[in-house]
Amino acid sequence: MAAGPYNYSYIFKYIIIGDMGVGKSCLLHQFTEKKFMADCPHTIGVEFGTRIIEVASQKIKLQIWDTAGQERFRAVTRSYYRGAAGALMVYDITRRSTYNHLSSWLTDARNLTNPNTVIFLIGNKCDLDAQRDVTYEEAKQFAEENGLMFLECSAKTGENVEDAFLDTAKKIYQNIQDGSLDLNAAESGVQHKPATPRITMNTGVQPPNKEGCAC
Amino acid sequence: MADKEPGDVASTPASNNPLSRKLSKILETRLDNDKDMLEALKALSTFFVENNLRSRRNLRSDIEKRSLAINEDFLTAFQAVKEQLDDVYSDVQAMNECCLDMTNRLKAAKAKTHHLISQTTSLHNESQKLLVKEQVAHAFLDKFQLKPDEIKSLRGTRDGALQPDFFKALSRVKQIHSDCKFLLRTNHQTAGLEIMESMALHQESAYERLYRWTQNQCRLVTQDTPDVSPLLCQAMEALQDRPVLLKYSLDEFGKARRSSVVRGFIDALTRGGPGGTPRPIELHSHDPLRYVGDMLAWLHQASASEKEYLQSLLKSCSAANVQLDEQLGHITQGVCTPFKVRVEQVLVSEQDPVTLYRLDNLLKFYHHTIGQIVNPEAALLSTVAEIQDLSHRMFFNSLTSHANKLLDKVELPRSDLGPTDSLTQSLQLLRDVLACHDASVVPIDDKKQDYKQVFHFSGNFGNSRHIIWLRIFRKYFCLNCISMLTTLKSYYYNMVNCIHLMNTTLALYEFTDTRLEMLNAQTDAHVDTLVSEQASYILNRVGLAQMYGTLQTYKTEQGPISSLPGLDELAVKSAVNKFDSYLAQPDSLTLPQFHLILSSTVRESATKRSTELICQAYRQIYIAVLDPTHGYKDGPAVVPRTPEQVVHLLC
Repeated sequence: MAAGPYNYSYIFKYIIIGDMGVGKSCLLHQFTEKKFMADCPHTIGVEFGTRIIEVASQKIKLQIWDTAGQERFRAVTRSYYRGAAGALMVYDITRRSTYNHLSSWLTDARNLTNPNTVIFLIGNKCDLDAQRDVTYEEAKQFAEENGLMFLECSAKTGENVEDAFLDTAKKIYQNIQDGSLDLNAAESGVQHKPATPRITMNTGVQPPNKEGCAC
Repeated sequence: MADKEPGDVASTPASNNPLSRKLSKILETRLDNDKDMLEALKALSTFFVENNLRSRRNLRSDIEKRSLAINEDFLTAFQAVKEQLDDVYSDVQAMNECCLDMTNRLKAAKAKTHHLISQTTSLHNESQKLLVKEQVAHAFLDKFQLKPDEIKSLRGTRDGALQPDFFKALSRVKQIHSDCKFLLRTNHQTAGLEIMESMALHQESAYERLYRWTQNQCRLVTQDTPDVSPLLCQAMEALQDRPVLLKYSLDEFGKARRSSVVRGFIDALTRGGPGGTPRPIELHSHDPLRYVGDMLAWLHQASASEKEYLQSLLKSCSAANVQLDEQLGHITQGVCTPFKVRVEQVLVSEQDPVTLYRLDNLLKFYHHTIGQIVNPEAALLSTVAEIQDLSHRMFFNSLTSHANKLLDKVELPRSDLGPTDSLTQSLQLLRDVLACHDASVVPIDDKKQDYKQVFHFSGNFGNSRHIIWLRIFRKYFCLNCISMLTTLKSYYYNMVNCIHLMNTTLALYEFTDTRLEMLNAQTDAHVDTLVSEQASYILNRVGLAQMYGTLQTYKTEQGPISSLPGLDELAVKSAVNKFDSYLAQPDSLTLPQFHLILSSTVRESATKRSTELICQAYRQIYIAVLDPTHGYKDGPAVVPRTPEQVVHLLC
């Protein structure tokens, strides 16, 4: 009881992007509910889900914003990149067109998020290997060329779904530990909840090693 | 030895002699067998040492003396024994006396202690009872009294900090208070009432402390991410019994969060993230869609987060949904004004109807999206609705002013009778609007409603697109009539073309069926006019118009038709001849404007229908000429072709 589901030390904000029908909402559902949602309706605008995970024995709350893939929502979904600590870029391994659009998604993600945002490439529907249209190798190469993390997942079977979300969180956490991610204000997509009450209200959390140069 | 002799003597002579008997008896005696005798003799031999007379004489007395001495010995020996026994006897006697004495004493003591024992027993029983009572009393106290440490934790420390034990103690106070009701039902009413009273006091002071603590805690949740501690959740749960206190605490929480949200919003607007990424939202204020969209997205995310915090705060409170919604409304209320001011500024300065329409759609979408998070009464939602209403009005205003601008231009139908520039422009506008509608983010249900608004007369906005077009058409009509620059005919062609253009525009979009139907009906009406126009033109040109016109109004009392002026056989024949030459070249007599009809289907059907009209007219004339009552002497020569032939030629 004392631990409770609300006892966490960080909040990471994620955004899931990618073409329509690649299974973004299903991935989120699989991750938060551990269930596959057949006949998932089109997302209207944006939806969100949360789950608490543990990285390096730190409880982290993931706040995941799932965007609509339809083109007509693009203007709306663009507003949600702001302040995401992690971006999951999804394509469908059975549809080449969704893979071909990745570069435009990547451009969006790079332009609209901060430089520290961890971008994770996900090739979804890897359970449909027979209908594969994009090979693992070329996607892997694309990911390496662009400095992305990469996994092939299946929202249906749940394969690798957990890993994709966790690996992203690990990377973000590592960035925090390295000091490359500034924990300043909500816009970094990461929020730290210190155990002791905060004294400074307006500057938000600052890692101790930064305090010296803050002024 | 002496006895022996007499015995021997006596036996021999006479056996019946006592002496002889005695002798024989002696003789018969076998000394070997008589052990007593042997013993006696042995003993005798010890002291009868000397066998002489004297000693024989004295033998008896010796033996007697000896026996006497032995008996005396016995006597002295037994004398000692007797004395000893006498002693023992006296001892036993004394003991007996002693025992008796003791028995008596015991008896006396027993009689004396009997009372004491019974007293002890009764005391013992009493003590047992008291023990039980004590246990009961302990149990009672356990159940109905607070332990010292509980009271301590209820009173708390001086700095007002709250320990987790507090809630345990508080729930015990509550438990005791409710248990007292059972007491009241029994005979212990006084105790029950007293305990109840004291518990109520405890409870009151505890709640007061709890409230003060909670209030203080709630004031502290002004961070970007509030720290909802388990203790605070517990406090909220406990405060449920005091709805007023709970409400005040929640109000405090709401106030803190509200200011935090406002600060966050202003920060996002003006400062952006750390080091300027992401950039402040206001940096995009030149791009209305992005500016407003970013603000709305921020508000959406913030309200979702705030709802989560509230949910985590109230997770253990049952049926707190109403309060949750109320607080969420309160929290999100703060950002309404800064948000509204900015969006209003954007809307007022925006001229382009398409952009305004996009904004309108965006606002509508967020009204829907945020409406899923906050309750309908929330100020944020009504603000969004208000702004959306404003954008709606601004959109129609801008549309009207655009239309007015187009209308202000005096424009004549073009020489090719095609749609005028203003119509083309307004249709282009419509197309743009509908295009962004197609790309809009509003759910399908709303979309249909929206289309209706755009196309139909709208109750709220009396100047929807449709009215604007009607005005444009009406204006053409007036222009045409007044200036007489062009004939009515051309107007119809122009009309048909305009409608066609509208038709093709609208057909591309959903939900336009009724509108299309209406336009089609209008087209049909106009085409009817065109068809009769075309037919009468042909009849006029070939000179059959008079004949046909007469036939329409002909009555038998007027006499034979051939006698009517201008309809004599010759005139009719020449007209039919002309008609014949028209049959050879049907296209020669088509109105020039006919070719200017843009829609090929309309054109074809109009041609077909005018031809049919001509055929029908010819058939009437043919029948009339061949009718002998009309006085045409050489009917078949006047009308050489049968109507069937004409139909064949024309179609």
